Amino acid sequence: MTTLPLPAFDLDPPGTYLFTVHEAVRGQRINRFALTLRSPERRAELAADEVATLEAAGLTDDEIELIRRRDWTALIEAGGHLQLLLVIVAALGGTLWDIGAHNAGCTADELRDAVPRKVAGLPATIAAVVR
Amino acid sequence: MSTLVGGLGISHTPSMGVEYDRAEAPGVAGNPAWQAWFDGTRLIRDALASLEADHLVVVYNDHLNYFSLDNLPTLAIGIGDRFAQADEGWGPRPVADLGGDAAWGIHLAEQLVAQGFDPQLCLTLEVDHGIYSWFPYLFDQPWPVPITPIAVNMVCQPVPTSARMVQLGRALRVAIDRYPADARVVVVATGGMSHQISGARFGIANEQLDRTFLDLLPGHFDELAAVPVDELMRFGGTEAAELILWYAMRAALSDDVRVVQAFQTFPAITGCGALVLAEPVAAA
Repeated sequence: MTTLPLPAFDLDPPGTYLFTVHEAVRGQRINRFALTLRSPERRAELAADEVATLEAAGLTDDEIELIRRRDWTALIEAGGHLQLLLVIVAALGGTLWDIGAHNAGCTADELRDAVPRKVAGLPATIAAVVR
Repeated sequence: MSTLVGGLGISHTPSMGVEYDRAEAPGVAGNPAWQAWFDGTRLIRDALASLEADHLVVVYNDHLNYFSLDNLPTLAIGIGDRFAQADEGWGPRPVADLGGDAAWGIHLAEQLVAQGFDPQLCLTLEVDHGIYSWFPYLFDQPWPVPITPIAVNMVCQPVPTSARMVQLGRALRVAIDRYPADARVVVVATGGMSHQISGARFGIANEQLDRTFLDLLPGHFDELAAVPVDELMRFGGTEAAELILWYAMRAALSDDVRVVQAFQTFPAITGCGALVLAEPVAAA
């Protein structure tokens, strides 16, 4: 049983991966592939033959390998957008919890048990107003 | 002439829709963690009903379920009589399409452009859980009130600034005041409260931030809107940035609003809350 530490108030990896237009450019093949899965037919194709679907999707070999390994953290680092990785994980029979758990370094059940991960704290300027 | 009678701020999250669909009975959550949301939205529903709105202007964000990174407007407005549900990757939910009113969409588009905004015009705009997840908690089908959706990019930096959301709210106020037919209008803004759904900070839950936000928005708006969005993200998770959408609602209203109803709860991974504000004219 992993005990997750409480989230810190910073915006740096591995706690946080910001998605900017830089990531959008870097991850465009992964993200375009995910968008094809808006269609139920394409989702069925992926479920039926994962390898063939990925190889026909315009992805690099590295990107295919990351999806095959369900390496969600590396996919985020490669520019995959969380909302679009969510479509991929769902089409592969998983959920958001699988991505979150991979990011947090625990199992999906451990993450489900850990949330909400309650913290307290306010930006300084509004803390002054409240006080 | 139309009258802006009040505002609604409300959070959204996909699981809100899932829980609605699997409720054991109307108002009874299948998952006990969501009961406070069911109970709270019952009060919000009554408060909103008391405003007797004929039209809702809804500022929300799409989650790449209609727009894409190949075509991502910073600001977009839906112009039409119907806004269908986007397929988010697991099929649509069993709820009716949202109703629209093209005359309102046209008017708001013209008025926003006249005031210096550059919205993308969308005659088709499929809407995702940004609106569909909470709408059935507040209205029964067939939906009694049409909406004009206004989508703001919240999924890829750079996103609009807090100051721009304040300007958007003020421009919506002017636009609504200029509508040439009688109507009672409520401006709605929807964005999740504290939450982050990726990275090792997944599941961060800052109820102190969410409660403080609800406390300050009505009467300490200037101080709140001056908080850098990075600070909201640091303390409330990256997706807490969506709270700046609520500024468009607050900025559309006057200094004389009163709080009709407000609550917050934290069922799982997204801070959930809602706030109804009424203008003095609402009671007239």
